[in-house]
Amino acid sequence: MRLGALAWRGLAARPLRTALTIAGVALGVALITATLMASQATAEGVRRAAQELFGAADIRVRAFDDAGFTPRAVTALRQIPGVMNAAPVAERRGQVSTAPSPEDRTFVVLMLGVDPDDEARIRRPNLTAGSYLDPSEPEGVLVGAGWAEENGFGIGTELRLTGGGLGVLGVRIVGLLDEVGFGSLASGAVMVLDREFLSTAFETPAPIRYVDLDVAADRVEDVQAALDATMTEPFVVETVADAEQQLARAQAGFAGLAFLFGLVGLAVGAFLVANTLALTLAERTREIGLLRAAGMTSRQVLSVFLRQGLILAVAGSVLGLVLGIGLAAVVMGFLRSTRAIMVTGLPLHPGGLLLALVLGTAVTLAAAAVPALAAARVSPLDALRPSRQPGRTLGGRLPWVAGLAIAAVALGSVAYPFQRGQASAGGTLAAVAVLVAGTLLVAVLLHPLAALVGRPFAWFFGAEGLLGRANLGRDRVRTGLTVGTLAIGLAAVVALGTVSSSARATADRWVASILPGGHGIRFIVPPLLEGTPNALDAGIPGLRLASPIPEVGAVLVDEDGAQEVSVAGIEPSVFQDEGALIFTVGERAFAFNALRAGGSVLLPEPLAVREGLRPGDVVRLARPGEEPQEFRVAGTVAYSIPGRTSDGAILVSLTDALNRFGVTEAALWALAPQPDVPDGAFAQAVASYAAGQAAEPLTAEGLAGELGRSLGRVIGLFDVLALLAVVIGALGIVNTLSMGVAERAREIGILRSHGMTVGQVQAMVVAEAAIIGAVGGLAAVLIGLLVAWTTVAFGAPRDFAAGLEVPWALMAAVVLVGVGVASLAGIYPARRAARLPITDSLRHFE
Amino acid sequence: MTVILEARDLVKRYPLQGAELAALRGVSLSVKKGEFVAIMGTSGSGKSTMLHLLGGLDRPTSGEVVIDGVNISQLDDEQATLTRRAKTGFVFQFFNLVPLLNVAENVALPFLIAGDSLADHRDRVSELLEMVGLAEKAAHRPDQLSAGEQQRVALARALATEPAILLADEPTGNLDYTTGTEILDLLWDSCDRLGQTIVLVTHDARAAAYADRVLVVRDGQILDEIELGRRKDHEARPLITRLAALGL
Repeated sequence: MRLGALAWRGLAARPLRTALTIAGVALGVALITATLMASQATAEGVRRAAQELFGAADIRVRAFDDAGFTPRAVTALRQIPGVMNAAPVAERRGQVSTAPSPEDRTFVVLMLGVDPDDEARIRRPNLTAGSYLDPSEPEGVLVGAGWAEENGFGIGTELRLTGGGLGVLGVRIVGLLDEVGFGSLASGAVMVLDREFLSTAFETPAPIRYVDLDVAADRVEDVQAALDATMTEPFVVETVADAEQQLARAQAGFAGLAFLFGLVGLAVGAFLVANTLALTLAERTREIGLLRAAGMTSRQVLSVFLRQGLILAVAGSVLGLVLGIGLAAVVMGFLRSTRAIMVTGLPLHPGGLLLALVLGTAVTLAAAAVPALAAARVSPLDALRPSRQPGRTLGGRLPWVAGLAIAAVALGSVAYPFQRGQASAGGTLAAVAVLVAGTLLVAVLLHPLAALVGRPFAWFFGAEGLLGRANLGRDRVRTGLTVGTLAIGLAAVVALGTVSSSARATADRWVASILPGGHGIRFIVPPLLEGTPNALDAGIPGLRLASPIPEVGAVLVDEDGAQEVSVAGIEPSVFQDEGALIFTVGERAFAFNALRAGGSVLLPEPLAVREGLRPGDVVRLARPGEEPQEFRVAGTVAYSIPGRTSDGAILVSLTDALNRFGVTEAALWALAPQPDVPDGAFAQAVASYAAGQAAEPLTAEGLAGELGRSLGRVIGLFDVLALLAVVIGALGIVNTLSMGVAERAREIGILRSHGMTVGQVQAMVVAEAAIIGAVGGLAAVLIGLLVAWTTVAFGAPRDFAAGLEVPWALMAAVVLVGVGVASLAGIYPARRAARLPITDSLRHFE
Repeated sequence: MTVILEARDLVKRYPLQGAELAALRGVSLSVKKGEFVAIMGTSGSGKSTMLHLLGGLDRPTSGEVVIDGVNISQLDDEQATLTRRAKTGFVFQFFNLVPLLNVAENVALPFLIAGDSLADHRDRVSELLEMVGLAEKAAHRPDQLSAGEQQRVALARALATEPAILLADEPTGNLDYTTGTEILDLLWDSCDRLGQTIVLVTHDARAAAYADRVLVVRDGQILDEIELGRRKDHEARPLITRLAALGL
């Protein structure tokens, strides 16, 4: 008989153990696969969003002035040699309402005016239902599918454009936009309609904000060069890469977290694989002794075990890959259903799948090789000694389980195919190292922990609880590693949950900081600054203050050229007194004083970091066609008023905005209620006022717009990944407990022969599982918090300006979930244990 | 004397590759209260199967087993388990003890399983450990004991509930001569002094010689019944002579 056949027979002789081992490997690989795929969804979503927004366009020429392009400029663009198609897009915010009735509702939507024929040549319509715009039926419009569903609209719904000076115009929904392309803008509160119709619908025509150009191959540079010569109106050129970069920049800080999540997935998966193999193969030293006694050389022993390892590795990894893709499909489906993330399909990235496959196979083979190597060195006599308990020392197993998990993470951190954002690699790896080391420490400290935690269970379950608790001390390595498997999954949940919650707290704090008073209003037709506060005062009961925030486009000029920026004027005293803005560089009181004195600016941090600007530096800002003016940097703020770039606006004093940038009107106003007015009542008052003024009531979250939504998407994705870790942890427990029960068959037979009932056996195994869950849950809370702290302190401190936000409810839930999941996971092995025929159990010993 | 254990026409067949293997082919026997009965036979003769059926660990294909007036063959698993807990004690050849319990807890195992605490039965456990000479090792773990000591603990545990019948399956099969003798002496002492009914399965004539009566099993049937009577010398020669006559 060949060695290969012996290897195969060795596996076939123990079908249950082999199946459970393959299942363990598969679970680890599935987690790695699903994590990689789910993480990738974020990057794919950003890329797809940018591509769909541009469609076939190579270049977007955007009007610099708020007035937009004139029709003459559009014609000039069409006539540039090399331009095959040009699609102008007019844009304005507008009010729509439902048909008049006692319950009629009013909404503010982003209206995009397109020329249907030109538009069809540039962008795919991406409709979930209905048909595209028909030039012969100008009152037909497309709206975001999600927005329509939320408000109970569908194909054929008739709406009314209001707030314009030309009376009320009716429109009818003819198509629903998917959440890509235009449908991804303004949270789906978007309406695409015929540009000419839009121009005539309101008193002031909607400005043409940009023209997308489809350029002949190899003519892009020529067209870009021709633009300067052709265009007489100020413009900015963008490409799809710019759009991708802008969208990605908004999520850059959180890409680091996605990276961390991926590595945690790798660590947990590798731990699971190594643990399963460690449990399985280290038990077989006696078998090796038999083979050695029969004349097999050490090399042959190694060969047999490596072949077995290879079979397990390939079977487990392939199964895990399929399982992982299935899990990822479920996760993606869930995310799509909640519309938390822009995904339209499974991101089957070959790099990610290959990485999962290679890691799974490599970790399994390494895990198989180590005990085989160790066993091959054992003398046959020693291996066959009846009292020998092979491989049961904790120190003997932990190093390689830890080594493999860390090696997998190190390999993953090099090969991980996704963006790392601003995360420090050292900090991220430190967090993963804390996770693995903490888990191993739990394995070492299991006995005292279980003795303590198991007391209530022993009291509650009686003899079954006592035995269940005592079972944990039977094979401390096995139990330690089982607890470790659960703890590492739950600790990942705690860490990810705490990191998510901290990131959310920071994001909320940032978002809240941009709007003094917490409320605001945005007028579709901006009112003149003079006299408006009185009008607001009269129109909004309970108003304490109204502060205008005018915004204008400008360019930041330096030696490298000019870049487009937004400039917003603020009242320094209002922002200072209301506690608005979070300073990351510069002293708060000094900065506001400087702003009041004039000639100073506050920079949004991403811009300051990118341009290397610090307080005291001088920046030059210019309006189109005007000479640059110098301003001194007074400070850097974490998050600024959203503007036309993803950085946010550069802030100047309202006086400077009026005097040096010539603003006369403000669309955005910050509003604060009087102290005795409840927040909800004030929001209601603002909404009522806005409805009558063709204006949009705002909260800080609403104002934060895309940034807030992108945070929500990423955090939502993390929550799902954390959930995945729990599911995998539960399956890991079923696996390990099943192995344990299979090997304790005789002992269970002894207990049954002495009168233990089926129910008692089940209770004993479930109690054991529950204690494992409680110990794992409590340990997970401690380890998870430590990992979260490491991440926050060393990984990406900028993303956690609000510090560590501990979700206490999650901590309690994790312990309960640990007990609950482990108990549920214990039911199958418990039933299996109880069903074992007693006489079979008594015959069974290895 | 009262009959405490009775088997009527016991048949046990196991499915084997599409056919059936008959392990027992119509065995009937009865054991009186306080009697020490040995069941002898070669490997595969069906003696262990018989013990499993007599103790209610397995169900016969047909036939009945009555322990202390209770027909356990007609009980469901739950009832059979409770009957077993109340009326039987077992000693096996290997791995008798629960490794994660200490000596005293192992002895008290039937009480613990019944929902009582060790403290409730401290005196009884001490008495039993005194009897088997292990009082000073009550707190030891099984892996800290010799094989003979482990079997003595198993014996103490089997006697803990004062069962109607004690069933021992090759209890000396894993022990050296001296240690085996100590276990057999303890078994005999519990029978002779305490009136404990014992059924001992063995292939060793020396062990069987402790019994009052020996049932010889071959091919799933009782081949012969050898009446030895209660003797203090446990002399094996008369039994060996009878066995030789049977060709064993």
